[in-house]
Amino acid sequence: MSRRKRKADDDVQPDLPITPMLDMSFQLLAFFIMTFNPTPTEGQIRMALPPPDMGDSRSSTPPSPADEKPMKWAVVVLATDNGQIAKMTLREEGATDDRGEDLGASVATGLLPRIKKLADEDKRRRDAAAAEKPPRTIPPPKLTLEIGEKLLHAYVVQLMDASVQAGFTDIAPVPIDKKNR
Amino acid sequence: MSHGSTEKCEPNFTPLLDLVLQLVMFFMLCANFVLEQTAVEIKLPEAIAAKALDKNEGDPIFLNINSKGQVLLSRNQMEDKEALDTPPELEAYLKRAAKREYRATTRKAEDPPIDWKPQTTLIMRIDKDTTFEKSYPLMKACRQANYSKVELRAILGQ
Repeated sequence: MSRRKRKADDDVQPDLPITPMLDMSFQLLAFFIMTFNPTPTEGQIRMALPPPDMGDSRSSTPPSPADEKPMKWAVVVLATDNGQIAKMTLREEGATDDRGEDLGASVATGLLPRIKKLADEDKRRRDAAAAEKPPRTIPPPKLTLEIGEKLLHAYVVQLMDASVQAGFTDIAPVPIDKKNR
Repeated sequence: MSHGSTEKCEPNFTPLLDLVLQLVMFFMLCANFVLEQTAVEIKLPEAIAAKALDKNEGDPIFLNINSKGQVLLSRNQMEDKEALDTPPELEAYLKRAAKREYRATTRKAEDPPIDWKPQTTLIMRIDKDTTFEKSYPLMKACRQANYSKVELRAILGQ
């Protein structure tokens, strides 16, 4: 009788085996560490697809400073056979000079500083118009990228990236050949 | 001849197990995220000025375009084909998506008017080795399907 009483008084301690669970967890951890391949963060650049009836930028009339029309610029980008930038030319819409301004082949040193200067000048013009009495609102400038058909998408994005960095918001990539637009 | 106590000295594994399970959970969640992002193998170009997706833009349509100029559809986009090989196929696909959006937003069974513009954003994930002659007809197809919000996807650069 005394033996039975002692047994009932004993504390019941369930023995939960932690070690196998820990082993399994380490195996899972090793699996996920080995298969871990974080993707780089992605973002977007907005583009303005031009209307289907967009004509030749050279043939339209030049905007006068008094007009409340946005300034329009076009960058013609010629491509090499292997898809790189061969040459860039900047032209103002309606300009009489068809040759435009040669920007070389480098986006960082040729295109970006030049279009940044244009965007800054345009911003000053729009700020001055907004400060007039009565205030005038001039829409932001438009930039058309006339791109050679062999150019790789990596360079198209590089051009658009530079345009956004310069301050342009209305950027339209189109082919050089008007028939394909 | 006593040899001291025979009591077992066991280390406490419970906090270690907690920590390991938390790490497992972290890697599991990251692994799911990776699967969602790279459902289709597209090598994206880099851009410094690219902006992360705005949560208020709703559910965008992702168009994964490989270097051959094919639009690869993910599992939830698939209809009867796994890829759209030509720009007219993409245009027809986008027009069907626009029609569904119009019917869902207006609760009408009719087709959208010609000048109606879908509000859904199109995000084009174009492979960096795609030439412009292959990517531009697809951009044109988006325009002809009346989508006005079109964005190019890029990896955020330094």
